[in-house]
Amino acid sequence: MTSITTGAIILHQMKTLTGDAAPAAGAAIAIRDLSFNYGRLKVIDGLSLEVPPGTSFGLLGPNGSGKTTLIRLMVGLLKPAGGSIHCLGRAPSPAHARSMGYMPQLPALYQELSVQQNIEFFARIYGMKDKMQRSQRVEEVIRLIDLWSRRRTSILKLSGGMKQRVSLGCAIVHRPPLLFLDEPTVGLDPELRAHFWRHFEELTSSGTTLIISSHTMDDAAHCNRLAFLRQGKVIAHGSPAELLAAAGSSCASLEEAFLYFIRKGEAPESDR
Amino acid sequence: MTASTFTIAGRIIRQLVRDRRTLALLVLVPLVIASLVGVSIPEKAMLDYIFPAILAVLILFFGFLLTGISFLRERSQGTLERLLASPVSRLDIVGGYLLGFLLFALAQTLIIFFYMVYVLDISYRGELWQILVFQVLIGAGAVCLGTFFSVFARNEFQMMQFIPLVIVPQIFLCGLLWPVSQMPDYLQWAAKFLPLTYGVDGIRALMLEGQNLADIGLEVGVLGAFAVVLLVLASLTLRRNSPG
Repeated sequence: MTSITTGAIILHQMKTLTGDAAPAAGAAIAIRDLSFNYGRLKVIDGLSLEVPPGTSFGLLGPNGSGKTTLIRLMVGLLKPAGGSIHCLGRAPSPAHARSMGYMPQLPALYQELSVQQNIEFFARIYGMKDKMQRSQRVEEVIRLIDLWSRRRTSILKLSGGMKQRVSLGCAIVHRPPLLFLDEPTVGLDPELRAHFWRHFEELTSSGTTLIISSHTMDDAAHCNRLAFLRQGKVIAHGSPAELLAAAGSSCASLEEAFLYFIRKGEAPESDR
Repeated sequence: MTASTFTIAGRIIRQLVRDRRTLALLVLVPLVIASLVGVSIPEKAMLDYIFPAILAVLILFFGFLLTGISFLRERSQGTLERLLASPVSRLDIVGGYLLGFLLFALAQTLIIFFYMVYVLDISYRGELWQILVFQVLIGAGAVCLGTFFSVFARNEFQMMQFIPLVIVPQIFLCGLLWPVSQMPDYLQWAAKFLPLTYGVDGIRALMLEGQNLADIGLEVGVLGAFAVVLLVLASLTLRRNSPG
C-alpha cells in the first residue's frame, strides 16, 4: 500500500519536473531528433541522446563533428532547427540558466580583471546575492583551482593553464547541478589534466552531471559514459567498457574503437 | 534595471580603472585636443562658440569608440557567449554598458569642462548640472551606437573604420566649425538626420544663450529617441556574429 503511494508520488513529481513533452524519466539531459544547420551545412543531423544524472558524459569526436554546436544548443545559445532538448526536464531558457554552468572553449575571461574579480563577477551574474556566502564561495573556488596566491593578478599575466583553471572556476562558482565543459583539458599539461579530472570526479560523486567535449581519448577513458560523434550524428554510445566490448577484440583502445565505429558507419554507404 | 545591470556596469568601470594606460590616455587626449583648439584660434568669441560643440563631439567620439571596442572584445574573447548562457537578459547587458560608460562619460565631461573654463578661460552661461545632463544624453546615444556598430565589425581594425564612416561626417555636418544654416540645402537636410547636430545645437543653447533643458525640448527629445531606438537595436542584434 505504502509503496504504491510512494510510487504515485514519485511519478507525480517526475511529471511536474519534466513537463508535458516528457523525456525519459530522471535523465539529466534528453535530446530527441535534434537538428541544426549553419546555412546549408547540416551540423547536427537527427541526433538523439540521453544523459543520466550524476555522470560524466563525454562527447568525443574529431574537429567539426558538432561537439561545440551541440553544447551551445544545450545551454540555449543556439535554437534547434528541429527536435527537442530537455535539460533537467526543461527546455533551455534564460530562466533556467542558473542551474547550468558553461565553460566555453576559449578561456573567456576579462583580461584586465584579477582572478578574484572574474570569479566574483560570474558569481553575481548567476544570482549569488548574499555577500558573505558569495565571498566565502569565491575563496573556496580560488583555493580549489589552486590560484589563491595569484588571486589579485590580472588574467593578462597568467599562463594558459592558469587561465583554463580560472575559466573552470567561473563556470562552477554557483554550484550548478549541470555543467557543460567545452574541451576543458586542451592545452593542459598531464599533471593539471589529472588535477582537473580529480575535481570532475568529485563533482559527479556529489551529484553534478558533467558534459565534457574532447577529441582526446585520454579524456574519454575518465568518463562514465561516452558518445562518439561524427558529422552531427551519434555513431556509438555507452560506457567506455561497453564501447570497447562492442567494437570487438581487435580494438585494444578507445581510439581504435572510435575508428572501428567510423568504418562501420561508412561501410553500408560505400556498398550502395 | 536589475542587479545584473549594476554588476555589469561595475565590472566595466573596474576594467577601465585597472587599465591604467588607457585611463591616462582617456583623460589626457581630450585635454590635448582642447588645448590645441584653444591655442590655434586667437579670437575669444570664436572659442566661446566652438568649445560647447567640442564637448559634444568628444563625448560622442569617446562613447562610440570605447563601447565599440569593449563590446567587440566581449564578443571576440568569448565572455559575451558566457553572459548569454547565464540568467542575465540582453537588455541587462546593454543597460550595464550604458550605465558604466555614462558614469565614465560624466567624469570625462567634468574634467574637460573645468579645464576649458579655468585653464582656457572660456566663458559660458547656463547651469553646470543641466550641461551634464545633456552631455549624458549625447553619451547614451553614443554608447548605444558603438554597441550596435560593433555587431558589424569582426576585429578592432574594422571597428576603427567606422569612425570615419559614422563619426567624422557628423563632426563636419553638425555645425561645429560653420553654422548648418549656411550649408547647401542637401547638406542641411542630411544634417537633420544626424544626432550630433541636435547635440551641438542643444549644448550651444545651454552654454551660449543660457537656456534651460526645458527650452531645448526638441533636441532633448530627438537625442532621447535616438538613444532608445539604438538601445533596442543593440539588444536585438546582440546574438549575431558570436564565434563558433
